[in-house]
Amino acid sequence: MTTGRKSASKIAGSVKKAENRKGDVLQLVQAEPRPASTDHEVTTVPDTTGQQGDNDKSGSDLQGTAGRPFWSGSITIGLVNVPVHLHTMVRDKSFSFRLLHREDGQPLRYDRVCTRDGRVVPWSETVKGFEVQKGEYIVIEPSDLKAIAPVSDRKIRIEKFVYSLSLDPVHFGTPYILTPDRSEEAYSLLRTALVDLARAAVGTITLRTKEYPVVVHGYRGGLILTTLRYANEVTSPEAFEAIIKLPVPREAELGLAKRIITDLSGDFSIADYHDTYRDAVEQLVKKKLAGEKIVYEIPHPEEAKELMQALKETLAALSEK
Amino acid sequence: MTGTGTPGQGGDPDKALSRVHFTNLKKILYPVPGITKQQVIEYYIRAAPKILPFLKNRPLTMHRYPDGVGNFDFYEKDAPEGTPGYVEIFPRYSDTANRQVDFVVCNNLDTLLWLANLASLELHMTLSTTGSYESPDILLFDIDPEPPLTFDEVIRVAHIVREHLGNEGLVPYVKTSGKKGLHIVVPLAPGHRFDTVRAFAHGVGKALAKNTPHVVSEFPHSRDPGTIFIDYLQNAHGKTMVAPYSLRGSPMATVSAPLNWEELVPGRIAEDFTIMTMLSRDTEPWRGIFDNRQKISI
Repeated sequence: MTTGRKSASKIAGSVKKAENRKGDVLQLVQAEPRPASTDHEVTTVPDTTGQQGDNDKSGSDLQGTAGRPFWSGSITIGLVNVPVHLHTMVRDKSFSFRLLHREDGQPLRYDRVCTRDGRVVPWSETVKGFEVQKGEYIVIEPSDLKAIAPVSDRKIRIEKFVYSLSLDPVHFGTPYILTPDRSEEAYSLLRTALVDLARAAVGTITLRTKEYPVVVHGYRGGLILTTLRYANEVTSPEAFEAIIKLPVPREAELGLAKRIITDLSGDFSIADYHDTYRDAVEQLVKKKLAGEKIVYEIPHPEEAKELMQALKETLAALSEK
Repeated sequence: MTGTGTPGQGGDPDKALSRVHFTNLKKILYPVPGITKQQVIEYYIRAAPKILPFLKNRPLTMHRYPDGVGNFDFYEKDAPEGTPGYVEIFPRYSDTANRQVDFVVCNNLDTLLWLANLASLELHMTLSTTGSYESPDILLFDIDPEPPLTFDEVIRVAHIVREHLGNEGLVPYVKTSGKKGLHIVVPLAPGHRFDTVRAFAHGVGKALAKNTPHVVSEFPHSRDPGTIFIDYLQNAHGKTMVAPYSLRGSPMATVSAPLNWEELVPGRIAEDFTIMTMLSRDTEPWRGIFDNRQKISI
């Protein structure tokens, strides 16, 4: 669990060595919480932990496996520090395909091409631009961004504690698992106190170049950190006129609707749901690997034969009229 | 209707018959008799020549049973997402929905089959057409019994309604609702208004309520046990009637069946007319009823 931990990370606010930083940044790119306008969508985190498979399930409905930390720092409450590691908690399990050249089967790559002369531009000749109006950009130098970037001081700064249930789940972004960094006692103390009081800690974290509001709360024996979305990133249903103008349901209909809902009520288990498309793609890949011929089932002609006969007769009858 | 619009008749002739892509044909839509979606579609294919003339130019309300009768069902007025191009749409402001609704109008065979494929077992149609939406061309009496009264009592009352209308010089037609009751209609000449038609129907109910046992004419009594309510309230803008030959979402796959008055004898039940029996009937009692449009006056 603690592999990859840097010796300096335990001391709050310590400055990292350059070669360590590089490795850290690389990992961050892989597991970064997805910003709204990502241009480098990362769909899979390489599984370097060797913990594939289901041997780690222990009967839980959540079936992901433990991985390495990608960030280390501390939870800071006033003068108290609790050193922690941050681990990825959710992984997108959707498939991504690689685009190939049909002729020779070679993978294609994307190039940065100048829109004026169609020439491929090397990274060294690029600079960031911000579109102020259509077709008009101002150039932003790396130094400009560096000057305003939030200081990544390896702290999860807790500002206050709120009731867990007072948080609106629509603001929840990506959850991460916090593990103690040789701070088992302090970690356990914080977790137990939060759970006993049904409170969650609210504060901020800086991941790479972005500062996120976060909430830290107890979950299944551990602490998890969830990034929060800013108020202007979330649309309220009240922004829709159709919703403001909804009619008040009638008493009798409401009673009936409630009865139906009550009748259909049950316990939620995410394990009831499966990504059938993913399963099908996996099957497809397996078969192709085994050199099997793929037979596609098109669910149509045979069973519809009787309908076609009926259609012929009806069309004939209709055209007589 | 004949031109399904698909070119290439030299190829597979079956391909050109319909633009509808049927799905989940094996799905059971009526669990009690074990009727599949394929059978429902076949019913609507074969009933099409009879039902299409009634649906023509009438905004529909779909009553869909995506997982079959007994499971979740819902009414839908709006053309759902992905409605194909051959389906005619009638955009109209709806008072009940309080917004514009894109009504489906079934003016061709493909639309009917598309509806069947959506498991819209029941098709409810307006009592006016798109060309003169505010002016009804059908007068409707909807007659339902409240227990312990049965279908036999409804039959008795229906004949009394027929006699009463006959005395006013009107020729009414009757069909089963496919559920508890009967629908009696009079096709109307152009120029009628919903309020006068409704008042006329109400008047008939009031007259009958005076001297006919069990009959009530007022809505507050419509659910009293042992009564038969002559419902005039459906004669209103935007209200609908289940279409003749439409299936019902009843356990036995009953049909709203147009009848000859002579067939309406005690002992007759709604379950006499189902998806199994309807197509073998050799009578079409409502055929050409719009050639017999009538005028009513108060």
